[in-house]
Amino acid sequence: MWNDLLFAFESVATLANVLAMGAGILAGVIIGAIPGMTGTMAVTLALPFTFYLSPVTSILLLVALYKGSTYGASISAILIKTPGTASAACTVLDGWPLAQKGKAGKALNMALISSCIGDFLSNISLIFLAAPLALLALRVGPPEYFMLMAFALTMVASISGGSLLLGVVSACFGLLLATVGEDMYGSFRFAMTEDMKGGLSVAPVLIGLFALPELLRLIVFREENHGQAMKLGDNRLTLAEFRGSVKSIIRGSFIGVILGAIPGIGPSAAAFFSYGEARRSSPNSENFGKGELEGIAASESANNGCCGATMIPLLALGVPGDVITGVMLGAFMIQGLTPGPLLFQNNLNEVYMLFIGMMFSSVLLFGAGKLTVRFFSHIASIPQVLLTPVVLMLCVYGIYSISSNMFDVTVLLIMGVVGFIMLLLNIPPAPFLIAFILGPMFEDNLRRALAISRGDPSVFFQSAISWIFAGLIVFFVGLTIRREWQKYRENRAAQNA
Amino acid sequence: MLNKGMLRGFLIALFFGVVLFALIPIHVPRPSFIPGFAPPPDMWPRTVSILGLALGILAMVLVALSGGRAAPEEAEYSPASPAEWRNRLIRLALALAAFAGFVFLAPRLGFLPSSMLLALAAFILAGASSRWVAVLALAVLLPLGLQLFFGNVTHTPFPQGSWGIFPTFN
Repeated sequence: MWNDLLFAFESVATLANVLAMGAGILAGVIIGAIPGMTGTMAVTLALPFTFYLSPVTSILLLVALYKGSTYGASISAILIKTPGTASAACTVLDGWPLAQKGKAGKALNMALISSCIGDFLSNISLIFLAAPLALLALRVGPPEYFMLMAFALTMVASISGGSLLLGVVSACFGLLLATVGEDMYGSFRFAMTEDMKGGLSVAPVLIGLFALPELLRLIVFREENHGQAMKLGDNRLTLAEFRGSVKSIIRGSFIGVILGAIPGIGPSAAAFFSYGEARRSSPNSENFGKGELEGIAASESANNGCCGATMIPLLALGVPGDVITGVMLGAFMIQGLTPGPLLFQNNLNEVYMLFIGMMFSSVLLFGAGKLTVRFFSHIASIPQVLLTPVVLMLCVYGIYSISSNMFDVTVLLIMGVVGFIMLLLNIPPAPFLIAFILGPMFEDNLRRALAISRGDPSVFFQSAISWIFAGLIVFFVGLTIRREWQKYRENRAAQNA
Repeated sequence: MLNKGMLRGFLIALFFGVVLFALIPIHVPRPSFIPGFAPPPDMWPRTVSILGLALGILAMVLVALSGGRAAPEEAEYSPASPAEWRNRLIRLALALAAFAGFVFLAPRLGFLPSSMLLALAAFILAGASSRWVAVLALAVLLPLGLQLFFGNVTHTPFPQGSWGIFPTFN
């Protein structure tokens, strides 16, 4: 194996490969930073170029675009409160408050470092854990998916901010909105117009909920928010700040690896998982949501930790875990490579070259990130009265370009108004989003498992994986109830004093 | 008096109540071909709505039990005076009208001119009118640049406008 890896290293270290990866990472970072432009779009747009490249170079270009765009989404999340993708939604929670405090550069640097570490660990896992993780992924059926999603939804407690009740209400809104459209039996729910039959896409809901309320806030409360530029203060990340987040970075990376290896879950769930875990275990848990670097580290390490891991089911089983890897599957086929167990027998050299190339791309991601942090952090110095309407335009064009459909733009604007109402009522938007993303997976797997077992609920407790998640759910719900009870008693004591 | 916490609980309960008792019976059909043991399509929205309704009522009960005391964050957006309150509502109404106007005009007038109008409205409403040179330049050039970018890179077919007032541009 080591000789094969050494040979692959020599083969990958060519100018063409390095240029392809460098260009892919840089383009990915820029595309990811534009609201509405997604990694999927970047990979799809680059697909025609791969016809003219060698198999390994073309796959490396696509992987580089994927990684770059995943990191790039954190830039707009931090600077303009507009997560480029759903996986960067958690980064908004602490990134935006840090930018408002004049620490945009610090937040961007933390996002970059944790993304690179997450990405690197994910690549290592891809090399050494591909086979066992792929086998684990095969054992996850509807009941296990359901328990996993139920566990993920307990994260709502960690991202609810000051009030658990309002966090759960927000999650209920998200779960309900996710039911719009066609269900698993082909029955249409809440399809009041023809467009609604297709359901609501994540991008307009996500961007509308996070980005547009800021514009409405600026318009309505003009006197309180003078619309001045944010200060560009201290940009450097100190060693102490990095050390304080190392545990969350490592944990987040492995959460990303495990969830990334399971098809269909994706980086958003991983980021929320990691953020919730970091908040639960951090000594600075009270600062989460107010501008805590550890929150950015947890979220970014997990979403980039998924990048390499999503390739595990693709390479080992030939199963694409999400849309991006679905496009990559097409690229493999175009190049005459068929992902799956036979790939490791027939094209072992190409597989190792891909592994090594992905390690290279982690280093290139760091370089491209450093190059762009300096440039992007100046966005924070644009006065808000000019920046927020510009963000509106970016969102409108970005969303329209995804589906070429005015319905999505309408959803974007309506969600902006909904987000503003939630802001006025102090209802946190993050639980809404995680519920909106996980809701369909939760419901589908619940109904599928019950249909398979002919209505027998014991199907949820027939495997070790289900029991592990059931145990974790009980543990964390218990922990949340205990914490809320303590908070209630402290508040009562403070009121009586 | 109805304070913010009570109003919030009421609005939450009202929303989920409307979904549960008015929308689900009409807009979530239960096809007859689904076997009895399989959960029907309305099971999940109904469960979530019941939970949301219960939480809205709980929020109101908690506010009532606390004697209607407002949490510290409740005063964050309270208006300074009735005149200011009116101005805020006017600005919000204008912003909503700008959004609705864009949705209405984009397929008719064309995406580009509608975007320029929306951008102009957003700049003015946000309070940037004193920088009118920058506002005018951005309101015209930004949508133009974005239309060129997305039109050429992603080949997005933007609506040209059924009224045919503006020339085709991509």
